Amino acid sequence: MHGLAFTFRQDAPIPLEVDGRCAPGELLALVGPSGSGKTTILRSIAGLYRPASGRVAINGEVWQDTASRTFVRTWQRRVGLVPQNYALFPHMTARANVAASLGDLPTSRRASRATELLSLVNLEGLEDRRPAELSGGQQQRVAVARALARDPKVLLLDEPFSAVDKGTRSRLYQELAGIRSRLLMPIVLVTHDLDEALMLADNMCLLQRGRILQHGKPLDLLHRPATVEAARLVGQRNIFPARVVGHDAARGLTRLDWRERPLDVAHQPQWAPGTDVAWLIPSSKIVLHAPKEPPREDSDNLVAGTVASHVVLGSTTITTIAFDGRETRTLQIDVPTLAAERNRLGVGQRVSLSLLASAIHLMPAARPRSPAP
Amino acid sequence: MLSRRRLVVLSGIVSFMALAPSAAHARTDEPVIAAASDLQFALTEVAEAFKSQTGRSVRLAFGSSGNFARQIRQNAPFQVFFSANEDFIKDLAKDGFMRDAGELYAIGRIVLIVPKGSPLQADGTLADLKAALADGRLKKFAIANPEHAPYGTRAEEALRTAGLWDAIKPKLVFGENVSQAAQFATSADTQGGIIAYSLALAPKVAALGSYELIPAEMHKPLRQGMGLTKTAGATAIAFYDFAKTPAARTIFRKFGFVLPGEAS
Amino acid sequence: MDWPALWLSLKLGMLTVLILLPLGVLAGRWLAYSRMRGKVLIEAVVALPLVLPPTVFGYYLMVAFGGGSPIGQVWQATFGHQLVFTFEGLLLASVIFNIPFAIQPTQRSFEAIPPEVREAASCCGMTPWQSLLRVELPLAWPGVLTAMVLSFAHTLGEFGIVLMVGGSIPGETKTVAISIYDRVQAFDDAGAAQMSALLLVISLVAITLTFAASRRIGRRLG
Repeated sequence: MHGLAFTFRQDAPIPLEVDGRCAPGELLALVGPSGSGKTTILRSIAGLYRPASGRVAINGEVWQDTASRTFVRTWQRRVGLVPQNYALFPHMTARANVAASLGDLPTSRRASRATELLSLVNLEGLEDRRPAELSGGQQQRVAVARALARDPKVLLLDEPFSAVDKGTRSRLYQELAGIRSRLLMPIVLVTHDLDEALMLADNMCLLQRGRILQHGKPLDLLHRPATVEAARLVGQRNIFPARVVGHDAARGLTRLDWRERPLDVAHQPQWAPGTDVAWLIPSSKIVLHAPKEPPREDSDNLVAGTVASHVVLGSTTITTIAFDGRETRTLQIDVPTLAAERNRLGVGQRVSLSLLASAIHLMPAARPRSPAP
Repeated sequence: MLSRRRLVVLSGIVSFMALAPSAAHARTDEPVIAAASDLQFALTEVAEAFKSQTGRSVRLAFGSSGNFARQIRQNAPFQVFFSANEDFIKDLAKDGFMRDAGELYAIGRIVLIVPKGSPLQADGTLADLKAALADGRLKKFAIANPEHAPYGTRAEEALRTAGLWDAIKPKLVFGENVSQAAQFATSADTQGGIIAYSLALAPKVAALGSYELIPAEMHKPLRQGMGLTKTAGATAIAFYDFAKTPAARTIFRKFGFVLPGEAS
Repeated sequence: MDWPALWLSLKLGMLTVLILLPLGVLAGRWLAYSRMRGKVLIEAVVALPLVLPPTVFGYYLMVAFGGGSPIGQVWQATFGHQLVFTFEGLLLASVIFNIPFAIQPTQRSFEAIPPEVREAASCCGMTPWQSLLRVELPLAWPGVLTAMVLSFAHTLGEFGIVLMVGGSIPGETKTVAISIYDRVQAFDDAGAAQMSALLLVISLVAITLTFAASRRIGRRLG
């Protein structure tokens, strides 16, 4: 079997219940809030942490198997790890840091290979600098070069972009995307930033308290989370309760009863009529109609409401709308500030919205929980 | 940083250091002589005379006789023991640590010494001492520790004879050996003390104060015995014999010792 | 100036340091990285010579390897002479009572190495031994230096234990510290003053070196 496959189970001190795989050349993102165990999983793959039970195999080579009491020590595994704060050796130059992974090469060749790798990450000219003399972004690149120098079978990145400013970050994303084509190994990236995962990952695991809530393609997780919990974790704000009324396969729709208001959503026949569900709609699939332009007759799910509040955050205005009818929860959408101003959006203003049916996704009904923060 | 070459060099230094001086001592026979502290100056001169006469050297260690006796019982590597009390030698011999019961090499005396500027007088009869206790001139008085220093035991006896022991006990300062007692007694921190005559006679000590002999009847005699231990080698034996020669006896006499067979 | 005593003290100090160097580094490192439950107890035992009065320590050392003890007898049987009152016995005592000086500073400096840096070394393919030589020691050397300097200086100055375990055998166990004591009793103030001044200078140099080194511990990793 090619690529990385891992399984970890543990109750304490850090609860873990994960299974994952990553094919060569693929990037798997482990996403979740802090404390969800992402870094622990990464360290377990590297062999720096040893969970009570687990299995790690890469390209068929077993690195850990509790059943057969196998555990290959970290220095015998070919892992490339880029820790969160880079952990460069402070007493060595950038070149020496990279060369530290080149133990297999004859000494005479190490310096030149290290220089090669540093230019791969765009650090020519800085090889003789110590970490203290490098910026955050530069240090991060040295850490990547050092990880790659190991000729690793799997590349592990622990929140590599979190400590870097936005401008550098976007540059680094591009660079990573650029060298990815040359890297033929599975890459596992840990991040709490969903947007980052959306940008970089082929597959994603959503983690909470050591458990995988859902895994799949990032966009799937974003738009079609399996549970309300997962939905909240990926940042979906507009989640409402409803009941399935019936399915219309011919028209490709499912009808819901949303607090005595009918709602047409994408055809999801797996839900039996009468089931209580929760539905979500991504912000981008909500059309806010300009007051002066009446909506078309055949617009999806036309609803009316009143603006409850709006908060201007730079070029985006976060607008909260209270629905007419029985739904007590409000809807939150991001309106470009320019448009908000042009339409003189203000508290108390009457608005109408279209909720695109095809984007409405159904999930099991949420269990009653404490109000959202 | 820790290259193999450096480790080899380090090991070399270590081995050399570990072996060198011990080897040096093994080659030359320089026995260690345990000597009571009252012999600090006297025996040093005797050893010098021994060296100029025979060309051989000895190493002298000074301390209290009781201490040395204890150490010899623990197999301390002394080859000759010059005790301030022959009883130590005899007891060691009885318990098999000495070659024989040894012999008397000198009889010592004690003095009352007062440092320069002391309110005490150098009165060997201890009458002034008694007065000083009464009128408060005396605050601190130094003697050797009677528990293991013979000179301290004799000092205690003299003080008891004078009827001063109970009164002076709270004001006593004890030296580890009679040399340290002399040190204390001649410092400005005591008003005086009882030390060995042989020490008081040494120019270095005499310069620091004034002294007077305490009558020998006031205490048991300081019969100083010497003995060869089981490990005594050739040089040790030679030194032991040298201590009985006229040259050595002259030195002992110079330091106020009464020699066996002579009147004081 | 009692040159044999000075040479003896220097020899004792240097050999103590040489023996304690690997011991301090390995034990300090183990304590720094270990998270076992009994660690506090071990640290307390390591620190014991610091708080125990030297005479108490000397007493227990005598009991432990004096002529009557099993260790003493084994030594006698193996080497033909005893442990007490010899340089070897002094060296053994010196190594034992300098353990806190050798271990504590090295432990602190290994503790100061961020665990992520050590983990990075593992990921680079370095075995623990290679990591020690190429990453940890270069970062921890100020603590190791402090430990060695303190042990050396402390050995030079130790008196009570040396006296009890060594006696005061000239050329064998009569160190400078004891020689000073001896010179004072011999009313040789000049000799005592000379040697005391020398020890004072050595102690000052030792303290200055350790302060300078400990400031570098922070800066190295800053």
